[in-house]
Amino acid sequence: MTALIIIFAIIVLLIIWGVGIYNRLVTLRNQVKNSWSQIDVQLQRRYDLIPNLVETVKGYMKYEKGTLEAVINARSQAVQAREAIEKSGGPTEGSIKNLLSAESALKSSLGNIFALAENYPQLRASENMARLQEELSSTENKIAFARQSYNDQVLFYNTAQQKFPAVLVSSAFGHHLAELYEVTDANAKNTVKVSF
Amino acid sequence: MAMNFWESQARARRYTTLYLIFFVLLATIAAVLVEVILRVVAGDHYTSPYPLLGAFFLALTFTVALVKYAILRSLGGKHVADEMEGRRVDVNTQDTQEKQLLNIVEEIAVASSLPIPPVYLIQAEAINAFAAGLKPENAIIGVTTGALKKLSREELQGVIAHEFGHISNGDMRIGLRLAAMIMGFYFIFYFALRVMQFSQISRERDRKGVPIFFIALLLLIAGAFTCFFGKILKAAVNRQREYLADASSVQFTRNPEGLANALKKIAKEADSSMPKSGTAYSHLYFNDRTGWSSLFATHPPLEKRIKAIIGSLRSLRD
Repeated sequence: MTALIIIFAIIVLLIIWGVGIYNRLVTLRNQVKNSWSQIDVQLQRRYDLIPNLVETVKGYMKYEKGTLEAVINARSQAVQAREAIEKSGGPTEGSIKNLLSAESALKSSLGNIFALAENYPQLRASENMARLQEELSSTENKIAFARQSYNDQVLFYNTAQQKFPAVLVSSAFGHHLAELYEVTDANAKNTVKVSF
Repeated sequence: MAMNFWESQARARRYTTLYLIFFVLLATIAAVLVEVILRVVAGDHYTSPYPLLGAFFLALTFTVALVKYAILRSLGGKHVADEMEGRRVDVNTQDTQEKQLLNIVEEIAVASSLPIPPVYLIQAEAINAFAAGLKPENAIIGVTTGALKKLSREELQGVIAHEFGHISNGDMRIGLRLAAMIMGFYFIFYFALRVMQFSQISRERDRKGVPIFFIALLLLIAGAFTCFFGKILKAAVNRQREYLADASSVQFTRNPEGLANALKKIAKEADSSMPKSGTAYSHLYFNDRTGWSSLFATHPPLEKRIKAIIGSLRSLRD
């Protein structure tokens, strides 16, 4: 009788423990998803701003067609990379790498535009340009901050999966390690420097 | 030794807990003291087996504190901005500086995973800012026009992130609870004073009973004593929360230079005066110089804050 009670108690404890781990992992995975969508919103916003920038700049920079085209191409590549992630339901190792390289190409081509804009006093004085610069650098900051919190969440999620005893059941519950959104290229870490 | 912002946050939290324990101890010690003194001095008259006076002291302080807290809690952060005649920055503002301010607030909301609070501009030359409101949902951020004019984008970002730190750490709630406790202590003092006035008039009738005048005197001293030390403790807690908010600011922006440079600019500032109507809320400010001694100061000295931030700067670089 006593043995039965003890076995029963152990089973109950195991269930409670399993439910605890299950819920914790689900919560963490949702937080990872949510923080990814924060990045996603800002990426989308930046892709929306870039055509405005090109329109504004085009009138002044008649001889810089190549630079402008580079930005437009880089943007459409980044848009595709983002859409690929959206279709697959979340970032995977390959898709996040694609997005990262598209993003760093976009960043450097945007940097070129702002560097060139220095040569056009009229453009620099334009209120529209100042507003676009501010919006773009604010979006840039938001992406950086959202990336920070995404990486933090990924770290919490991955650590929770790797810890003992969760490591015994996490893959059985359908959890995999999430991908960090890391900027590996040292140059890409410097966000577009915009002077005011 | 260089300190990272996680360590500084843990340290500030430890100190806060310690001071809050002191606060409870302070009330308990005062209650025990009035009880013991009354028994020693007037043991013949006061023979109840229960610690009536001590219990009365605690019950009265905590009731007043709770009532006060309940009244103040319902007020959102907006009333502070209103009293300082702040103007809410329009979300669709066309002004480039105001737009930048709103953008920075949105950025830090992303960094701190908090809702975007309304932003108010306060007419003042001094560089200052504050956060008010007890919950993240009804919090607001106020910024002086001086801060908007004199700070660079990075510096303003550091200041805004500091205010988000207060919201995220629940500092307004802690501050209000302590203020309510002090109100409770003050009420004991006030109550005892009134009883003393009354018992002087009717002293003839009470000659044979428990010496009411003496009890009131005890409570008066206990009220004044707890009020005095309560204020010192509250200021100490407030200073720790400032360090904590500085560390949170670095956590959100990962850019200690912005905040440190903003503090340096404030240190060099000649005119630090804020609107007179805001004096009651000076403890909420980004920097406050109204404390008349370091014991009662609501904010740590600027040099110490800068040093702590530069410490986290080094550890970020290492």
